This record gives sequence, C-alpha cells and structure tokens, in this order.
Amino acid sequence: MFAEFDLVMPGDLDEALDILAEAGGDGDAGILPLAGGTNLVVDLRARRIRADKLVGLGRIAALRGIERSNGRVTIGAGTTLSDILRDPGMVEAAPSLVDSARVFAGQMVRNTATVAGNVCCGSPAADTVPPLLSLDAEVTLAGKGGTRNVPLADFFLGYQEDERRPAELVTKIAWDAPKPKSANLFYKLARRKGDAITVVGVAVTVAVEAGKCTTARIALGAVAPVVKRAREAEALLEGEALTPELIEAAARQAAEDSSPIDDVRASADYRRHSVHALTRRLLSQAWAQVTEGG
Amino acid sequence: MRETETITLEINGRRREIAAPPNQTLLETLREHGYFEVKSGCEKGDCGACAVLVDGEAVDSCLTLTGTLEGRAITTVAGLKRGEELHPLQAAFVKLGSIQCGYCTPGLIMAAQSLLNETPDPGEEDIRLALSGNLCRCTGYTKVFDAVQEAAQVLREEESGL
Amino acid sequence: MTETESWANVNLRQVGRPLARTDAPGKAAGKTRYAGDYTMPNMLHAKVLRSPEASALLRRIDVSKARALPGVACVLTAADLPDRKASTDIPGQTGKKKLATDQQVLVKERVRYHGEPLALVAAETQAIAEQAAELIDFELEPLPGVYDPFKAMRPGAPVVTAPDNVVGEHKVRKGDIEKGFAEADEIIENTFRTQFIEHAFLEPEVGLAWIDENDVINIRVATQVIEHFRPIAEAVGVPHNKVRILGALVGGGFGGKEDVTVEIYLALLAQATGRPVRLAYTREDSMFGHGKRHPFVITHRTGFTKDGRITAVKVTITADSGAYVFLSPYVLLYATVAAPGPYRVDNVHVDAVAAATNNMFTSAFRGFGAAQACVAHEAQMDEAAKALGIDRMELRRRNFIRTGDKLVTGHPIESAVWADECMTKAWEALGERTPDAGPVKTGRGVATYQQSYGRITWLHDTSEAWVGVEVDGSVVVRSGVTDIGAGQVSALGQIAAELLGVGLDDVTIYNSDSAVTPLAGTTTATRGLYMTGNAVRLAAEAIRGRFLARAAREFGVEPGEVDLAESKAFVTDRPDKSMAFKALVALCASEGVHRSELVMFRAPFTGQIDPETGQGRVHPDYAYGAQAVEVAVDTETGEVTVLKSVGAHDVGQAINPDAVAGQIEGGAAMGQGYALSEELCYEEGRLTTPSFSEYLIPTAMDVPRYQSIILESRSGLGPFGAKGIGEPALTPVAPAIANAVADAIGVRVFDLPITPEKIVMALRRAEAAE
Ligand SMILES: Cc1cc2nc3c(=O)[nH]c(=O)nc-3n(C[C@H](O)[C@H](O)[C@H](O)COP(=O)(O)OP(=O)(O)OC[C@H]3O[C@@H](n4cnc5c(N)ncnc54)[C@H](O)[C@@H]3O)c2cc1C
Ligand code: FES
Ligand code: FES
Repeated sequence: MFAEFDLVMPGDLDEALDILAEAGGDGDAGILPLAGGTNLVVDLRARRIRADKLVGLGRIAALRGIERSNGRVTIGAGTTLSDILRDPGMVEAAPSLVDSARVFAGQMVRNTATVAGNVCCGSPAADTVPPLLSLDAEVTLAGKGGTRNVPLADFFLGYQEDERRPAELVTKIAWDAPKPKSANLFYKLARRKGDAITVVGVAVTVAVEAGKCTTARIALGAVAPVVKRAREAEALLEGEALTPELIEAAARQAAEDSSPIDDVRASADYRRHSVHALTRRLLSQAWAQVTEGG
Repeated sequence: MRETETITLEINGRRREIAAPPNQTLLETLREHGYFEVKSGCEKGDCGACAVLVDGEAVDSCLTLTGTLEGRAITTVAGLKRGEELHPLQAAFVKLGSIQCGYCTPGLIMAAQSLLNETPDPGEEDIRLALSGNLCRCTGYTKVFDAVQEAAQVLREEESGL
Repeated sequence: MTETESWANVNLRQVGRPLARTDAPGKAAGKTRYAGDYTMPNMLHAKVLRSPEASALLRRIDVSKARALPGVACVLTAADLPDRKASTDIPGQTGKKKLATDQQVLVKERVRYHGEPLALVAAETQAIAEQAAELIDFELEPLPGVYDPFKAMRPGAPVVTAPDNVVGEHKVRKGDIEKGFAEADEIIENTFRTQFIEHAFLEPEVGLAWIDENDVINIRVATQVIEHFRPIAEAVGVPHNKVRILGALVGGGFGGKEDVTVEIYLALLAQATGRPVRLAYTREDSMFGHGKRHPFVITHRTGFTKDGRITAVKVTITADSGAYVFLSPYVLLYATVAAPGPYRVDNVHVDAVAAATNNMFTSAFRGFGAAQACVAHEAQMDEAAKALGIDRMELRRRNFIRTGDKLVTGHPIESAVWADECMTKAWEALGERTPDAGPVKTGRGVATYQQSYGRITWLHDTSEAWVGVEVDGSVVVRSGVTDIGAGQVSALGQIAAELLGVGLDDVTIYNSDSAVTPLAGTTTATRGLYMTGNAVRLAAEAIRGRFLARAAREFGVEPGEVDLAESKAFVTDRPDKSMAFKALVALCASEGVHRSELVMFRAPFTGQIDPETGQGRVHPDYAYGAQAVEVAVDTETGEVTVLKSVGAHDVGQAINPDAVAGQIEGGAAMGQGYALSEELCYEEGRLTTPSFSEYLIPTAMDVPRYQSIILESRSGLGPFGAKGIGEPALTPVAPAIANAVADAIGVRVFDLPITPEKIVMALRRAEAAE
C-alpha cells in the first residue's frame, strides 16, 4: 500500500520546473518527477521512497521525440525503451542502446519506462547507462535558473547520488552517432534471459583508423556503486592494434577496475570473472567488426 | 486524505468519469469499478497479469497511476470481444489449448495485441520479446506462441479482406 | 508400440480428441470469476501481520493503537483465540488423524519461522487494514534457531518440533544389500542436493468468507482441497456441517494450495465481526504463506556389474521439513518409494529422514518427493554410465523394471512400464545435434522416472460424483473436484459426453462446492482424473446402461446392439435405426427411468507398509516416461540455454491430448526453472527472495519450443486405461537438464539450481584438478 501523495500533471516544462522549485527554492525532496513510474511507483509502494507530491512528466510535449542531425542524436527525456526499439535509425545511431533495450524488462515496462528515468534512478544495474557511457552521452539538465549540459561520465557521483539538483529535470540526452569505422556493443549477463536484473553489464566502443584503435570505451554495469568506465583498460587500447594479447590484458584490467559485491544474484568473484570474460569477448567482436573488409 | 480527482477515461469504448485518489493505480481503479478481468499477480511490474492497453499500447496497470491518464483510452481483455464473438486472439488461445489456469491469460492477450498493433506479421522472436514481461507458470509458453501466430494470420487476412 | 484393446468396451469418439476445454472461452474473454473476484456488500478487508524473525519469543503484543484506528473492525491475536489448533492432517476424506501435526493458528509465544502470523486485522478498506497492521506494537526476543536439518538432528540442537526434530522416517530393507555390493564390479557413490522452491502460481492465495442465516461459515477460496472444511471447522470450533467451502477456478496450484491457506483466518474474522471478510495475499504474503518444496540431500551408493547390471542400491535421504510438519512424512515416503528410479533392484536399502528447522515449512509440490528422488537417481545413472563406459541410455535399458517385477516395496508393478519406449522416442525427437560454437558447448541429457498416481493406499481414497440427464437431454455433472488449471473439469465433461453420446457443449459441470457437489477428494497426487474420472465414468455408465436398455426395447434388439453417439441412440450395425437422444430421454423421463446416478469410486485399500522394511503396497499404480533435452552452455559465463526439450510420457489414455500436451510443456518449463534459475534463499531462516524479481521462473525468452510425445498403453487404473500426467510432466525435467549440462561441460554440478556461477566454479575446479 502507498503512503498518500499528491499528483500534478503540468502541461509544459516551465510549469513543471515551477512546481519542482516550489517548496524551498532549490527544490524539496518531497516533490519528485514522475516519468514512466516503473521505478518510482515500485519504490513508493515498498516505502523505500517518501513523496509529498509527484510531478508527472507525461503531458510535456517538449520532452518527447528523437532527433538526428549532423551526426548528433538527441532523445527527449520522455523517450521510452520501446521508442528506442521502434526507431529504425537507432540501430546505427546507438547500437549498444538498442542491444540493451532488447534485454530490458518486459514489453509493458519498456512501453512506459524512460531512458532518462533509467539514468536518474541511480541504480548501478541500470541497463541503458553502460551503452550511453560507451557513446560519450551528455545529459541536459533544466532548472528555473537555466539549463546545463553534463557529460554522463561526470553525472554519477556515488551510490544513488548524481549531479541533478532536486529542482532540476533531465530534459534530454544526446551523443554523437558512432563513426562509420567503429563498433558499439552491449551484453547483459543475468540469471534469466527475459526480464531480469543485471548481474554484469558491459558496453564497449571501438573505433579504428589505419589499423589502430583511436577510441576505446568500456563501461561496466552492476560491478561498482555506480555504472562506470574502465578507464585504465581503455587507455591500454587506444593507439594500438587490438591483438588477442592486448584484449586479454584490457579485459583483465577491466576486471580489476571493477569493485563488485556479493548479493542474492551472484558473488563478487563471479562478477569479476564475468567482467573479464565479457569484456574480452565484446572487444574481440568489436575489433573483428571494425577490421573486417578494411 | 489527499484530494480525489475526477478523471475521464474511455474504458472498453465507454466514456467514464472516475474518481480516483492520486495514489491509486489503474489496477486498483479498474478492479474497484468491476473490471475483474484485470488480474493482480505481484503489484510491482514483475508478472504482467495486470496488463491493459492504454491508447493501444500495453502497460502494467499496477505501475500506472490513474491520475496520469486523463482522456486516455483503456482496453481490457473483455473489451477485445466483438459483440458475442471472441476476438481472433482470444479464439486462437481457446482453440490451441494456450490457456490452463487462465490467470495470466488476460495479460498475455493484451501484450500480444499490443505487439500486433505495431507488428502485424511477427516472427517468433518478436513474440517472445513482446511477451517477456508476462509470467505464465502453467503452459510453458509454446502454445501461447502458436496462438499469437495464428491470430496474427487471421487478423492479417481480415485486414486484406477489407 | 503394442496395440492394446480399448479398456472399456466403448468406441471412443470424444475421449482422446483435442477438444477446446470448457473453461477456456470464459477465461479468454475475461468472464471467469476467480475466488478473488467476488465481493459482497458490507465486506471487510483483512491483513495478516507476520513475524520478521525466524526464531523468537513473542514477549508482548499490543494492538490497542490498531484497534483504535478509525475503520478497523477487528484485530485478533492468539490471546483472542480459543485454545484450538489447526490440524494439518493429510487432506481429504479419511478423517483419521495420522500424525501430531497441529499448528498454532497465530503465534502464542514461540515464533518458529520467518513470516509466521502474529495477528489478523479486518477493516473497512485494504489501506486501513494495512495501516492497522503497521500500528501493532510487538516485541520479539530472538531465540537460537536451527537452519539445517543435519544440525537439527544433533544432540543439543534447538528443538523446533519435540522431542528431537525428527518429523518423518522411512526405511526400505529389501534383499541382501551386503551380498549385492559384494557382487558389484564397480561401486559408485555421489551426493546430490536440491533447493527450496516456490510454486509461483500466478494467483496469490485469496478468499472471501461470510456467515449465512444457518450459521454456516461460507468460504469462497482458491484451493485444491474443499475437504478442508473439516480441519477448518475444528480449528474454529464448529461442527463440520457448519463450514462450507466453495471453490472457483483456481489460478494455479501445483501443490501450493493443497494445505489450508487463508481459510481459518477468514473464518475467525467472519466469526468475530459477523461481516463478510475478504483476504487477498500479496505476492510477498504468498511467498510466506504456503509451504515450499523440500530441499533434499540424497546420497546414492550403487553397485554395478561390469556389464551394467545394478546389484545393490543404498540411498540416504535427508529432507528439511521447516518449522512445521505439514505433509513432510508423506513427501518423504514418496521419495523413499521412488529412490532407486524405474529400475529393477533386488537389493535395496533406503534410509530417509525429515527434520524440523526454523526455515519456512515445506509441504506438497508437484512431484511430491519423487521429483527430488529423480534428480538424484538420474544423475547417478549418468555418472555410472560414464564410469562404466556404457552408453547412458543402454545402461538404463539394462536395468528398467518390467511389468510384474517387484518395486522397492516388494509390491509388483501391474501396469505397463514404457520407460524405454518413452526415452527412445524423446531422444529421437531431439533430431540433429546442434554443433558447438567456440566456447559455447552443446550437451544432451535424458532422464526417466517412476511417479505414482493416486494417493497412498492406506489412506483409503474415494471419490464421489453425480451425473444426471435433464428432460431436454442436456447433461449435468456434479463433482467436488477443484480445477487448478489442468482441465480437470473439462475432462469430466468429456468422459460424460463420451458415455452418453452427446457433445461436450451439452454438458454442464458443477464443481468444487462442499455443500452441494459430491465430495471428490483432493486435486492432488495426480489423482483427479484417476479417481474422479472413474467416478464420473461409473455414474455415466449406469445411466447409459438404463438408456441402452430402453432404446433396445424400442428398436427390438438387445442392449448390447445399441450405441449412443452424436446425440442419437442407434443400432450399431444399422445406423438408420435410430432415435434422437432427446427423444429417448423424454421417453425415459415419462416412464420414470432413473436419469441420474451418484457413485463412489474406491481406490485399492491396503494396510500400512512394514515400518522396518518398507515392504507392502504404497500406491495404486505408477506412471513412466522420460524427458530428453539439449542445452548450450557458455563455458566462459556459465549461461545455459535450453535448445530443445522433449517430454514423452505413457499417460495410459489421453482424455484430451491438447490438455496432456499442455501439462507436459508446462512441466518442462517448471522443471527448467527448478534446474537452472529458481531458488528461495533463506539466511538464518530469513527469506531474501520474496518477489518475482528475485525468484526467477522461466519467461517467454528462456524457453525452447517444448515438444510433447504422448504414448498410450491403456494399462492404467483411470478411466479408459488412463494413468496421469500432472506430476509426471515435471519429474524428469530437472535431472535431464542437469545431465545435459554435465554432458556439455564434462563436469557435474551436484547442487540445484545449476546457476552460471556454479558452472564457472565447477569448470575452474576441474581445470585446477588437471
Ligand atoms: C518489472 C521491472 C523490470 C525492470 N527491468 C529493468 C531492466 O531490465 N533494466 C533496467 O535498467 N531497469 C529495469 N527496471 C527499472 C526501471 O524500469 C528503469 O529504471 C526505468 O528506466 C525507469 O524509468 P521510468 O521512466 O519508469 O522512471 P520513474 O520510475 O518515473 O523515475 C525513476 C527516477 O528518476 C526520476 N526521474 C525520472 N525522469 C526524470 C527526469 N526527466 N528528470 C529528473 N528526474 C527524473 C524520478 O523522480 C525517479 O526518482 C525494471 C523495473 C521493473 C518494474
Ligand atoms: S500485477 Fe502488475 S505486473 Fe504483476
Ligand atoms: S495459464 Fe496458469 S499462469 Fe498461465
């Protein structure tokens, strides 16, 4: 059963920001944005979260839509996981995000859950975050005082802690579509194939020029308090041709970069093992993709 | 008590004014108003028994606050029926033995309908993906896949016959 | 396949056809009312307050704040209850108490498991009831608990069930075990472990109670067993005839709605308030509210000759019965009987024990002990085949029991044993082997089983049914049977339609009302079709006999020359000589021919087995079959994909092949969860996986297209030679998957579930050993 709360459904962004800023100028923990509600409603019911008022974002036209121009991809905060799967251009604009959407929850949740809500929910197992990190995505935050852009890589500060101020909304998420000679992959390891919480999620990006890796991104989910990049592992790869030995070294480094815990789903030991195995596999696949026929 | 708002919903083709407190889910609202075909299996999005269509798209009614739905069209499994006739999805589930205890059936049929609204000719992978949020403990899903495929064909034939 | 004669001298027209089930259209259209869909004016909503501790003393419980909350009608604690207990006598119609299995309704002093009920609340709304439950102030003093059955049996262990925590013990002593081992060329010993699992029916427990003008407590409830009106009446202190249980179509049972769930709470609250009360469990309540599948530790020590003949089997079984006895002794007995598998073994020694702990109590679950036994004996056969260098199926073939051979209990098996036929067909159906792909290795496994159908013969099982024909020719069946989703009710209709020569649409079945439908016994133990199907068959046959006699007079022939079909009576050799069924019925009605029949079908009755040797008869009969699977194992991550899964079962006679296939496919999915992903985790008795996001049953993304093969020996004790399929469908699945995984990776995971992590660890150990 829920504790009681109010619900408002503002018609535009300004109204929403006004309401969020209501109590106490810089926002109030008791006033929360409601997107798809697939985290929030569950948390409210379990009383993990308390709220006085929910600000439903469903009627705000400005938060909708997916745009692609000049190689830049922008999705509104209202974009759902199903929107990602439905958009035929996404397979090229964000291959790893499409991979993650396919293994994300079940249909009904995908139909309502937003990518922005996934980013804001603060879970280290949030499935769209490794892909978005591997794409160097940027988050746009809007508040009464204006908007600011924050690289996703700087967005997460600690467990359940992020850059967003309580009276701000994420309005969009943007990234550059992958370059032609690059590969971008995601794999979710879970205890079940359908509708399961991630045990380890790995996203990689590998871009190549003249036989050398120019950009390497490795993002790891569910193995640290926040989703994070394995920067030391990435550093091993950039500027190099990815030999099996180098890939193995980077995969080992990625496992070392992670700091997983034991829980009901898996042990820390197994998680680290899997980071190693999956990073190696995804990097090999990515390298094969970008060097094939080239 | 927080203020109870009156919401206008179209449920199974009928306009209804419904008073719902802000913390009420669509599952609670629908069952309170006699739509017992909407089932509760977990109330946290894990099972899909409560799935209904909102403007043609399946959602878990247990995760949807009624107050967010002003003016939207809701369809439950009972609203699929065409007069006295079963809808092709319902008919295929009956014919192919895809129903055992039947508790998951309303949700499964709504998830399948949501798929067919967008993808009239789904492959088996599409069907699995579309039904992955609906737990069924009795059937093992095989006959459910068959029913969705058969219904899709019937609906395509109806469509092209028009 | 052996051609057998039709069991009954009836030319089957309806039975054996995949008719759409009578319950399906209502379910598809959303018209079916489940127990939770009933409401009443002036109804209260209930909530159960549960213990957050597994082992504790209830020092104090103060409900004054809860009672004072506006909208609260009633709060009950143990102090408000008469000093009566809920008996968990084996359900059904025996009425004889078998064991000291009484249980407190609400905690009086001692909390024995996490989730044990402390108090009951009834209020005007669900929200108020929940709020009131939160306002109950109580103090628990933690007590040392015991969470492992082996530790529970050590001297000095905390006592959960007096005097020594041992709640069930069975033995088999057959042949000469020493001699058997002496004759062996190879002795193989392994230990296998199974986990706590959850039924995970989609409909949580729910019921609605009201007291009528005759002081009868009516309870509409989702249950497998309406005969529980007896223990319910005893627990609340009224005569048996003052409790009426009305079932509804049940949203899944699998054994989890076999024990009493919400009924006693509802009865107590209705008594206390005089108002209708509804209690609907949440999913979390359901995880706490009914018994689980017993975790078993099973050790097999098996002697084989060089050419693969079993010379001796010694099995020890230890089961965790949790905090209360419930059906543990019976589950253990089934496991004992099934222990060696469907094999002929002359020298057998079984020692089985169930011990109480402060874990969740365990009780009935599809497969009922035989499923756990199968996990062990089938893994053991594969391990033996590997050690002996004999093909896995060949080793089984050399040892299968045959009709006339003696079971471990010394009783001979009388019906057909088609384990080999089933195994061979299931394996063939796997087709071409999927090749390995890099680190992803393919493996195959098979498992066979022996599963009883029908209840223990010394429980003297009976089933009553009434069949009648209305004056307009429409047919009514009345049977107390509950329909838990397998098509129990529809099958009865099909049997009546068959024998009366009408269509399934012409039959209306009233079921599951302890006040007005003849008591059919439980829908458990794969007995529904066997027992109730026979009762309906006998009743319909009696009417058929009278109708045939009357029609024969009309046609001027002998009754044996007349048949009923397609709503007509006709002379078999001269179909032109016929009359409408309706006309025949009208004729019979006008002459006062009795158009209805109430019968009781009785299973074989025996005395108990010898407690020292386990010799005697335990079950009416057994079913045999097999599952074959192909899996792909990712040796780097440990992930398992089930690629193919085929169940082949001798069901005796399929009444409705689609319904049988449905059972086989559903069993395949449930067994897959048992093998790979499902586990209720208890930490010091505390459940850490109380929802469907932690307790993982297979989804549409996890399953292959299941295949089912139905064999019909027509050798069973059910109607038309039927055996049963409800439990058998599940039993061989988990071991077949375990065997396939072992085949794929070359090492075995001995503990279920076989998680990716355990596979990775097993491979790592194997590598280190090399
Ligand atoms: C059955 C089930 C399965 C799931 N499976 C997965 C899965 O496979 N993978 C996965 O990653 N997650 C999963 N989830 C979790 C959840 O669905 C996702 O995290 C989802 O993306 C959250 O989005 P939402 O729109 O529903 O957010 P909400 O629940 O509405 O909000 C989540 C949080 O973000 C805040 N918020 C939302 N939008 C904004 C915004 N624009 N600006 C600022 N703050 C905002 C809210 O205040 C809240 O704190 C699952 C949940 C359920 C119930
Ligand atoms: S009840 Fe809504 S998903 Fe289970
Ligand atoms: S038919 Fe019972 S849960 Fe699906």
